[in-house]
Amino acid sequence: MSTFRIPFGPQHPALKEPINFTFKVDGERVVSVKLRLGYVHRGIEKLAEDRTYTQNIHLVERVCGLCSQAHVICFSQAVEEILGVEIPARARYLRTIIAEMERIQNHYMWLGFTAHEMGFETLFMYTWRDREIALNILETITGKRVNYGINTIGGLRRDLTAIAVNPVKRGLDQLEDRMKYYKKLCMTEPTILKRTVGVGILRPKDALRFGAVGPTLRASGIKRDIRFDDPYAAYEEASFNIITYDGCDVASRLLARCEEVFESIEIIRQMLDNLPKGKVRVRVPSQVPQGEAVSRVEAPRGENLHYLRADGTDKLARLKMRAPTLANLLPLCKMFENMNIADIPMIIAGIDPCIACAERMTFIDTENRSTNSWTGDELRKYSIGWYEER
Amino acid sequence: MMKLKWRDKWLERKAIEITVQQSRRVFVTVSQDDFRKTMERLVKIKGFTQIATITGVDIGKEIEVIYHLKHKELVLSLRTRTSKKEPVIPTIVDLIPGSALYEREVHDLFGVTFIGNPDLSPLLLPEGWPDDVYPLRKKWTSEIIKHKLEGS
Repeated sequence: MSTFRIPFGPQHPALKEPINFTFKVDGERVVSVKLRLGYVHRGIEKLAEDRTYTQNIHLVERVCGLCSQAHVICFSQAVEEILGVEIPARARYLRTIIAEMERIQNHYMWLGFTAHEMGFETLFMYTWRDREIALNILETITGKRVNYGINTIGGLRRDLTAIAVNPVKRGLDQLEDRMKYYKKLCMTEPTILKRTVGVGILRPKDALRFGAVGPTLRASGIKRDIRFDDPYAAYEEASFNIITYDGCDVASRLLARCEEVFESIEIIRQMLDNLPKGKVRVRVPSQVPQGEAVSRVEAPRGENLHYLRADGTDKLARLKMRAPTLANLLPLCKMFENMNIADIPMIIAGIDPCIACAERMTFIDTENRSTNSWTGDELRKYSIGWYEER
Repeated sequence: MMKLKWRDKWLERKAIEITVQQSRRVFVTVSQDDFRKTMERLVKIKGFTQIATITGVDIGKEIEVIYHLKHKELVLSLRTRTSKKEPVIPTIVDLIPGSALYEREVHDLFGVTFIGNPDLSPLLLPEGWPDDVYPLRKKWTSEIIKHKLEGS
């Protein structure tokens, strides 16, 4: 049998960011994968060097729409470490609350997106409806639904008002109820099981070898979480479980994220009940002394790392950001091996990519040089149809 | 209390500088010649089998390359320097396969060649990007890059 080369991507209108995979396939089976990024390379690390620290807060927040809080906390922590500033306890608690709310809305969104990829549109609609509860809570706390603009170096820009606490708690109850139902669904619904169990296997050995992070790593049975291993904000004061599953497949990644939502809700309740009184911000100088810092945060998708070097001016010398998806791309390539073409969308969805998927897909027959192109939507339909026949 | 797992007589002898920033952050600087040996030791003996990323920094005549290695709660940043004229560093993909994309990234943006890495094809920069333009070097300001792109 001849081998086919399949360029996959870089465009897909349903996703925020494009990527390109070239799959080598033997019939229906994926043999190997090659990766190309850069279609949305925005040069943010370069831009950061031209801006002051305060301006960079807003730039860094825009690295990602879904985990903006994770990036801002990571950056602020690095600057605060070089400045030698300790932020007020209340600010640490509020940062934790917002970071966990962000995780909840992200996991809800991801669940819906994954349901859409497997053709389960009803679940997609329901989860995105319920995600609104999380977004409303974020709006109550921060004033905005995305890119919250509430963080600054030295703490927060606004305080949580006492009147907001009860609506937030009510929202959390609803989110918990709904997620209980979705988790049950993920464990019993035949459509979901058929598309996720045994799909996209990532053995623990490979997960570590290729450096997977976040729920992707934990669904391969490795107990590792920055909130626990390298605690920041107020995580040391919170009690929570690290969710691991050992199925190593998309089904495990689904369940791990569902359960993480319960843990997040639990953390927020603890934070709200024990919220310290006092200021939420300390004033910091605009010039940062020479120094360097490495800061880590557990973003919804996994470990986020910022390296900052300051040269004593009001502008930074170097800011390096490593978002979790980049770390999960090599493990993703491993997951494709020996899988069906029809499983590609589910496997990509499985790592909760921040850069992803395909709008155009071309099958190249290396022998006849014949080419036919598929849109991402056609691939999705193909994969749903392929499973319906079975 | 400070955990001293990473402490190593050999490393202390070889290192140009060791800074303990705080209990969970350590910076170690080694010369280009000692780099590969140090890395092998950290990975194989000290258990730093995970890498978070590789950072490049333009420090004038040289390029600094920092490897952020992880071991549980600890991040050990191992740094080495290479001349800007001919920036070469031995690869570590054979030691830590997960570093493949990070080496490609530094190769793209700083022009550092990682000797022994089988695939240094462009990862981030577009096709047809000029050969001698490494966007994260200080010489190339955002303005110059913008002009260059608009001009072509």
